[in-house]
Amino acid sequence: MVIRASAGIAGTLGAQDVPVVQMKEISKRFGTVQANSNVSLQLFPGEVHAVLGENGAGKTTLMNILSGMYHPDAGTIEINGAPVTIASPSDALEQGIGTVYQHFTLVPNLSVIENVILGMKTRFVLDLSGAERRLLEMLGDFGLTASPRTEVRHLSLGERQRVEIIKVLFRGSRVLLLDEPTSVLTPVEVEGLFKILLRLKAEGVAVVLITHKLEEALEVSDRVSILRQGRKVGELLPDDIAASGRAATKKLIVELMFGGTAGGEQPNADSQHQSADGIQTTATGDAADSGRTLLELRGVTALDSRGAKAVRDISLQLKAGEILGIAGVDGNGQKELGEVIAGQRHVTSGSVSIAGQEITNKGVSAAAKAGAGYVTDDRLGEGAVPGASVAENAVLKTISRRPFSKGGFWLDRPAIEAHAQSLIDEFNVKTPDTSTRLTLLSGGNIQKLLLARELATDPQVLVCNKPTNGLDLKTAQFVLQTLRSQADQGKAVVLISSELEEILEISDRVGVMYNGELVAIFPRAEVKIETIGHLMLSGRDRAEAFA
Amino acid sequence: MSIGDVNVADFLTALLMAGLLRAVPLTLAALGEAVGERAGLLNLGIEGMMLSGCFFGFWAAYHTQSLAIGMLVAIVSGIILGLIFGVLTITMRVDQVLVGLAITIFGAGLSAFLFRDLFGGKNVAVEVDPINISIPVLRDIPIIGEPLFERQLIFYICWALVPIFAFVLMRTKFGLEVRAVGENPFAADAAGVNVVRVRFTAIAIAGAMAGFAGGFLCVADVKIFSIGMTVGQGFIALAITMLGRWNPYRIVIGAMLFGGLQTLGDQLQINGVDIQTEFIGMFPYIGIMLALVILAGRTALPAALGIPYARGQR
Amino acid sequence: MNRSVTRERIVPIASSLAAIVAAFLVGGIFLELRGKDALNAYQILFQRGLGNSDGLTETLKQMAPVLIVSGGLLIALKAGIWNIGVDGQFLIGALMAGAVGANLAGDVPQAVMIICGAVAGFAGGLAWAIVPAALAVRFGLNEIITTLMMNYVAVNVTSWLVKGPFKDPDRVAPETKQIPYELRLPFIPGTEVHIGLIIGLVVVVLVAILFRSTVPGYMLTVLGRNKRAAIHAGMPVGLLTVLALLLSGGFAGLAGANDVMGVQGVFKANWDPGYGFTAFALVYLARLNSLAIIPFAFFFSFLLIGGASMPRRADVPTYYIQILEGLMLIFFACSVYFERRLMAAWNRRRSEGSEEHAAPAPIESPAVVVGEV
Repeated sequence: MVIRASAGIAGTLGAQDVPVVQMKEISKRFGTVQANSNVSLQLFPGEVHAVLGENGAGKTTLMNILSGMYHPDAGTIEINGAPVTIASPSDALEQGIGTVYQHFTLVPNLSVIENVILGMKTRFVLDLSGAERRLLEMLGDFGLTASPRTEVRHLSLGERQRVEIIKVLFRGSRVLLLDEPTSVLTPVEVEGLFKILLRLKAEGVAVVLITHKLEEALEVSDRVSILRQGRKVGELLPDDIAASGRAATKKLIVELMFGGTAGGEQPNADSQHQSADGIQTTATGDAADSGRTLLELRGVTALDSRGAKAVRDISLQLKAGEILGIAGVDGNGQKELGEVIAGQRHVTSGSVSIAGQEITNKGVSAAAKAGAGYVTDDRLGEGAVPGASVAENAVLKTISRRPFSKGGFWLDRPAIEAHAQSLIDEFNVKTPDTSTRLTLLSGGNIQKLLLARELATDPQVLVCNKPTNGLDLKTAQFVLQTLRSQADQGKAVVLISSELEEILEISDRVGVMYNGELVAIFPRAEVKIETIGHLMLSGRDRAEAFA
Repeated sequence: MSIGDVNVADFLTALLMAGLLRAVPLTLAALGEAVGERAGLLNLGIEGMMLSGCFFGFWAAYHTQSLAIGMLVAIVSGIILGLIFGVLTITMRVDQVLVGLAITIFGAGLSAFLFRDLFGGKNVAVEVDPINISIPVLRDIPIIGEPLFERQLIFYICWALVPIFAFVLMRTKFGLEVRAVGENPFAADAAGVNVVRVRFTAIAIAGAMAGFAGGFLCVADVKIFSIGMTVGQGFIALAITMLGRWNPYRIVIGAMLFGGLQTLGDQLQINGVDIQTEFIGMFPYIGIMLALVILAGRTALPAALGIPYARGQR
Repeated sequence: MNRSVTRERIVPIASSLAAIVAAFLVGGIFLELRGKDALNAYQILFQRGLGNSDGLTETLKQMAPVLIVSGGLLIALKAGIWNIGVDGQFLIGALMAGAVGANLAGDVPQAVMIICGAVAGFAGGLAWAIVPAALAVRFGLNEIITTLMMNYVAVNVTSWLVKGPFKDPDRVAPETKQIPYELRLPFIPGTEVHIGLIIGLVVVVLVAILFRSTVPGYMLTVLGRNKRAAIHAGMPVGLLTVLALLLSGGFAGLAGANDVMGVQGVFKANWDPGYGFTAFALVYLARLNSLAIIPFAFFFSFLLIGGASMPRRADVPTYYIQILEGLMLIFFACSVYFERRLMAAWNRRRSEGSEEHAAPAPIESPAVVVGEV
């Protein structure tokens, strides 16, 4: 069965060796962060090109530039050899570039056909009959049984994704950008998607697959580009991949993506690590000395804000003195897991206990009283009140406790200021004084304050989500050191991060989350970077990959 | 048949006559508001736009003795206020509730001021010659004949707008874009829709309809302007919009219900029922709250209602 | 660093003043277009409200209800809760005070009567806010519509009551029994301004203390500035919502009591001074800062007083003041926009720059404005 793209295609079908899209030396900066730095990419018709990289590598930014959502600061884009300016999404669509975004761009209460023709140049009064016929064909080709008049919200996520693909093809796209398309699909649906991509390939469409999942990338793509921290660090051409074989290719990619030495290095138990500027941390290789269980999750399942399962049947136990590092690429449920432990997210099944106290679905203050502490990654969105002062933010969670309030009613401003001052002194938060507005501080200093604030409540279980995000090396080390010493003092720490290095530096055990499941937990000593990398990217370790 | 001294048939006819007339401004304003809210804009300025429509329609009709010109001017005044709302909320992305209240305060003040200034606050009546339509045979049907089939032309024009709005919302490109923009502006933007243009058009329509509603109320119904004469009907229309879940036909039902409630008291009193005006006067407002409670679970607001849209970072 | 702190304090004041000036300018142009002498009108406006001792007295008297209503409204707005029903709450409180006060007058010492009237007023306004509060917490109904509807219900209920059970049987006009002149709110010694002004100032100070020094005040502020953070911190959001609505309703009712016991002496039907709009404009221009309400209340009060004499002496209807209020709010909205851009530009230039790059500039609701207390 042939997928029919719509008639009226802009541009000609390029020959195999003429790139249909060329991105040259693209750079884009947001604030102080260089999201893309001189990235060049070539897309050929009939080729599936995977762009791999961790979070923050710059893949989505690059794609957004091509899809018209962002403007590059520097660099050019050429289509079929001619330079173009893509100023808006409709420009991109006119150039034949269709994007399927990670967060669905379908309007749930509109029907399939309405979603497909949205934004197209049609007459004022919609005549859907012609479009409907063509759409029915395409729906059939893609294995969708729903009628074009069905409202999108009745479709499964997998079906919706196919509608999104149909939508861009319907508009004559010859270049298809897919951002993390498999993150919400079941394995069967993933297979279906790949079949579609291969057929599109045969049709001469150029497909870009943005992903962090190694297996899938290799299974379906011809060419692989690897991004790391805004730069392109490698490109594997079809011949290279064919020549080296799967195993070696994967090894190389993991190395390029994570940057550490690939494969084989196993640190000894109790070995001492020297970090970049000489702060010594002790990694206790084995599981912590048997202390009390401070955190217990049993069969916990929770939904994310879209209603999809974010946390699937997770059970774990954390003892006093232990640091559990949870590795995983963003969006695999770690954030939701952290929120569950903090009492901020409702669980649909299972139980959560802190220091023996059951706190399942009892809310944030109950969890806090039981001893939970939570440093969120969303500093200004939820962790703090941006317009308030440093001091006011420092007591956000503890305001009704003594000594900040007398009798739970009167604020003791001097005590609050003093506390805030001690926090900023202890953690070296750079701020003129405690009455400075929080947004005047740098992101790093805000992070330090939030961490300090949390630690000051003396939590039994401390959950940190990306605590070193945006911090310079020295400060990051300080944070990690602090977490380590908290554990050494008998606390339990859950460190959620997408930075593998920092997890490996201080964790006693390392867990990997993939697709909402805790796919593995290793004691630190048994960790191999390559294995973790594989797990993060595919949910399976290398040994099973060839099954 | 009669109850006491009252002829039930006559009572019902009178109730329908007045009630349907009262329902028109509510319907008009609610239709416009539905378009605006579907596009994601919560317009609390509706009351001020209606009042300004009341006054400017009155003023224009008074001087030209033309109903049509009066309506036109009322509509234009609503559009202008709507565009001001648009600039503040769409371009400047200021909070919609604050802007809406500001516009209502301004519109109310402006209409009151100009009335005092231009008419000395006298109770002058506007004199327009409405075009009356009378459909033979049908108008002789008992009870409903007169209220439905023997009315001013403009009355029919207004009701005709209901299916027109339904059609535009559901079967045109613009309507599709409006529905998309209010639900998922990112998706609309990504699909190439000009979110800003759609929203401005939507609020212009909302303003136009609110102005039209006010003009109708003053010129076609009451025929006298008094300060603050809408007494919250703009807000009632807004509530009806939500209760009717932005569906023009459901809006009509709500408008008729509340229009009826508004005139019920007068009708009862005219017929000698001893009920205090104020007591009846409360009904529409309490009714709205009751309706909100009963239908609370089922009102799913457009997801992007009240939230300004900004495309990532350019 | 000090420079930015000073900047942060000056900018809001400057933009509020700019909004006022812009409103007066545009309003003035409008007056001229209507054939009035704008400058003359403004002269009379200021003269009447400020110029002579008579006008000043009136202004100060007018300040009382304005202060009280605004103080209460501030509590709600700072928590991000739109209590648009203050007019209705005012009326209910006024009626209660009229009924209670008149019935107690002469039978109890003046002080007791006044206190009872005040309590009745506060309670009335508070009670009127219970329905919207309950609907908000129990059914999730947005308070905007419910408080609005309650306004119109209040107008009808009070009218009905004062024509019925609360009517003074000895008089023809529908009003409550009159509180004898000598038993109304006493004057501040040495002046002809009744103590309502003091009460108003006390209310504002209390609100200031609430926000500056109490835990509930702190929590309300957090709720208004960042609801997600309030949830994240485990604050009782439902309870805070109810508290904000009830308190602001109570104060509106107290203002009603003030007017009845201090000026009118009775509650009349068809009396609806409608301080709600004024309070809204006022509170926002004061950048949601309790103590700043005082000078703005003075300003708005003399506008109201001066505005009352504009028809006679400048041929400008009093509703011009309402136009000004609307314009001031509109220009205030503009100023919020420009401020935001200014702040963003300043933040970008600083070396420590914000790293929250991917998110668009946070859309601040006007509840999130710069204002210390």
